[in-house]
Amino acid sequence: MREGEKLKKQGVTFKRVIFWVITILVMIGILGPLLWIYLTAFKSSADIFAGSLNRQLIFTPTLENFKRLFVQFPFFKTLGNTLIMSLGSTVLVMIVALPAAYSFARWNTGGGHILFNTIASRMFPGVVASIPFFIVFRHIDLLDKHIGIILLYMYFNVSFATFLLYGFFRDVPVELEQAAMIDGYGRFNIFRKVVLPLVLPGIATTSVFCIIWSWNEFLFAFLFSRKVATTVTVLISSFWGSIDVQYGTMAAGAAISILPTLIAAWFMQRYIVRGLTFGAVKG
Amino acid sequence: MARKENGDIALLDSHLIRKPSIWEVLSNEKYFKWMLALPLIIVLLVFMIYPLIFCLYKSFFQVSLSGNALFIGLDNYRTMLRDTGFWIPLGRTFQVTVICIVAELLIGLGLGMLWNRDFKGQNIIRGLILMPLLVAPLILSIVWNFLLEYNIGFVNQVLSAIGLARVKWWDPQGALYTICAITIWQWFPFSASVLLAGLKSLPKDVFEAAKVDGAKGWFVFRKLTLPMLSPLIIIITLLRTMWLIRLFDPLYGTTRGAVNTELLDWMVYRTSFVYFDIGYGSTLAIMSLFLTMIIGAIMFRQLIKTLNATN
Repeated sequence: MREGEKLKKQGVTFKRVIFWVITILVMIGILGPLLWIYLTAFKSSADIFAGSLNRQLIFTPTLENFKRLFVQFPFFKTLGNTLIMSLGSTVLVMIVALPAAYSFARWNTGGGHILFNTIASRMFPGVVASIPFFIVFRHIDLLDKHIGIILLYMYFNVSFATFLLYGFFRDVPVELEQAAMIDGYGRFNIFRKVVLPLVLPGIATTSVFCIIWSWNEFLFAFLFSRKVATTVTVLISSFWGSIDVQYGTMAAGAAISILPTLIAAWFMQRYIVRGLTFGAVKG
Repeated sequence: MARKENGDIALLDSHLIRKPSIWEVLSNEKYFKWMLALPLIIVLLVFMIYPLIFCLYKSFFQVSLSGNALFIGLDNYRTMLRDTGFWIPLGRTFQVTVICIVAELLIGLGLGMLWNRDFKGQNIIRGLILMPLLVAPLILSIVWNFLLEYNIGFVNQVLSAIGLARVKWWDPQGALYTICAITIWQWFPFSASVLLAGLKSLPKDVFEAAKVDGAKGWFVFRKLTLPMLSPLIIIITLLRTMWLIRLFDPLYGTTRGAVNTELLDWMVYRTSFVYFDIGYGSTLAIMSLFLTMIIGAIMFRQLIKTLNATN
């Protein structure tokens, strides 16, 4: 009897060890590459290109990469551009998606067909849309302009936002609105005073997602900008296209530009699954 | 239904007193709901229907670099059907989609099962695994390109330090799989999180009953856990399909379509924006769109169904 218990206990400890070994390995696998960006950002070129593991791991931190990034490249300008485009497009997305999502959730406007088409437009390949827009933008002089890329980002995010908001609006009980209507509220006031406060977390979540998708977007930014409206992803991508690959500068740029998305990932934990599944999984 | 009557009564009242103002007419449910949806409908028409018609139209032309268009009927489509430059990337895209989804689901399911218990630091772990998900895929691909560099890349240095041979991650035989691996690395936290959330929400009494009946682990997994998770597995598969057939950024950050890694969207991009062959590019774009629309139609019907089922 005693022996059996002892064996069982050993088995439990063994299982626990296995559990933590796997867990820690997975965490290293996930966080390692992200950490590597930050390590590389503080390394001198000599250490990066040394080709020895010791010098990769044990090195004297230096700010030379950041200095080069700030002085030789328009890093802050592109960061500012990215910020303007992300925020601008998100405001536009909300203006369009918020009323529409409410309409779909509340009255099933269009019997689900418009909602279906909205979400199907998310399938629309960016490259396909790029060809006609490139030609039109060239005619109306929107190439390499902030507003041009803002419009594209709005198009790129509007279906996602509508669908996600639709899910949040559906969570608002109809009875609440009916009660407000009996109390003599007009339709606009019902929306503003009853529904809006309840979906505020949903609006915040959707906005943050739209900002992040725009922040990360590459294809449109790459095709529709030249010098003026370049975004930070385009700048970072240019570091490795050139003849000498500037890993240090690239890492410094990446370290700064991914910081907001990492922070968002941490603070939005509860909503990430819901957002990424278009609201289908509440997580 | 009751609310609708209310709306009618309100309208009736205003009729009795005076002629309704334009705002009152528009607040009538019948118009109000369309008014709310109107901006979106306009955006969809401009940003979806227009490019579609444009590409469809241009696909019947041979457009020269100077912009002169020559009507050639279905010639672009005939060329495409015989063009290995179309079929090979299409097959590759299919291959990448299948590999990534299967791997992500297996890893996600494994980790979900592993972490589906109470342990110290579980919230921190669940938060930390989400970290790569929101990072720009382009930046991650450049970082991986650096990590997997043959000489100075960290991975190869570790491999040679522990006495293994360095791997040529970007040679024509393996580059496509390397790109798959990068994508899987970024996205397995997604399926792990979704499946873990699903596992946590499964009713416990069913499993206890199965245990009482003496059911073994594998049997319980196959007959209980898996069927109950299947809606989530379907959602993951559909969403990931949608993202994977659009895979573009990781290519730009790594191989740029070289060494046998050209995928569907890269091919459209190269034809239209590198060779600037708008006519043929449009044809390829239409085909790419057509294929993705079919998959999209299947997937979003399912998604809306799930949404309706959960509410």
